[in-house]
Amino acid sequence: MDIASSLAIVTLAALIHASFQLSVSVLTLLSGHAIGAKHSHARVLRLTFGYVVGVGVMTLLALSFISLIFLHLFGTEAPQFVWAVACGLLIGVGLAVWFFYYRREKGTSLWIPRSFARHLSDRSKATKSGVEAFSLGLTSVISELLFIAAPMIISALVIIQLPGAWQLVGIGIYSIVSMLTLFSIWVLISSGHRLSTIQKWREDNKHFLQFAAGGALAVLGFFVYVCKILTDVAGAI
Amino acid sequence: MTTHKHIDIIKRKGRRPTESFNRDKLHQSIVAATLSARTPEGQADSIAHAVTNYVLEWLESRPEVTSHDIRLVATRHLRAHHPDAAYLYEQHRTTL
Repeated sequence: MDIASSLAIVTLAALIHASFQLSVSVLTLLSGHAIGAKHSHARVLRLTFGYVVGVGVMTLLALSFISLIFLHLFGTEAPQFVWAVACGLLIGVGLAVWFFYYRREKGTSLWIPRSFARHLSDRSKATKSGVEAFSLGLTSVISELLFIAAPMIISALVIIQLPGAWQLVGIGIYSIVSMLTLFSIWVLISSGHRLSTIQKWREDNKHFLQFAAGGALAVLGFFVYVCKILTDVAGAI
Repeated sequence: MTTHKHIDIIKRKGRRPTESFNRDKLHQSIVAATLSARTPEGQADSIAHAVTNYVLEWLESRPEVTSHDIRLVATRHLRAHHPDAAYLYEQHRTTL
């Protein structure tokens, strides 16, 4: 696989990651509590920015960690069966997202363990400093691993086969692109947009986001399967 | 902290201990939701007063209610004053 194709796969995987909504939900809750608690605008900005940085750092660390594990296990080229399992995981998670991503109730509740959701909700209310907001960002990425693991795994498999410097570029692209949605929402909140407008948009479009994320996961799984496994098999024949 | 006549609030379908109704707690939660909708502080406070008084009237004939009931009644009345704040107040538990 050439560098351009590899980076395109990483970018698509990061876009899928960006379409997942848990981090955005926590950011909405955090800013709602901060504004409701009569904090100054500067403090609201500090808290929400700390949270966004926390999400970015944990995304970067998680992808680097998975890549490092794969590098130790497989070297720079993972075996075919690992690629096949990763493609299967992408398609499986894609189907699961179609059917189970949002709970069947009003609002934007997600199919994550309720204890996780309660913890994040309680912490978003209790967060008073930038450091706490940063650690909330770290935690929210861990809570979302159920959904983001598949795009991260396929990205890690692609990244480890790139030359050294391009591996860093791949990790950088993934981290930045996966933050686009969260960063856009942060800009909207910082510039004074109403949370109700943002939340209404998210609720009104939740089925589209669910369909897009699930569909894109399945498409990415199929693309990598054709690009990596079928091409190699055809080459061997 | 001021409390009105003793009314038991059943929390989260009985999964958390029952507690007495606290007017200030309800008032603060409505102020917070209204401020979240970018409303000036004074207006948020007066809306919260109006909604809290309405809920208190509704509670007069009820010795025991659930926290969900209070949320529904408060949301219904808040909607008349500030639809955006009512939306945020209603959505609070279903955002995540």
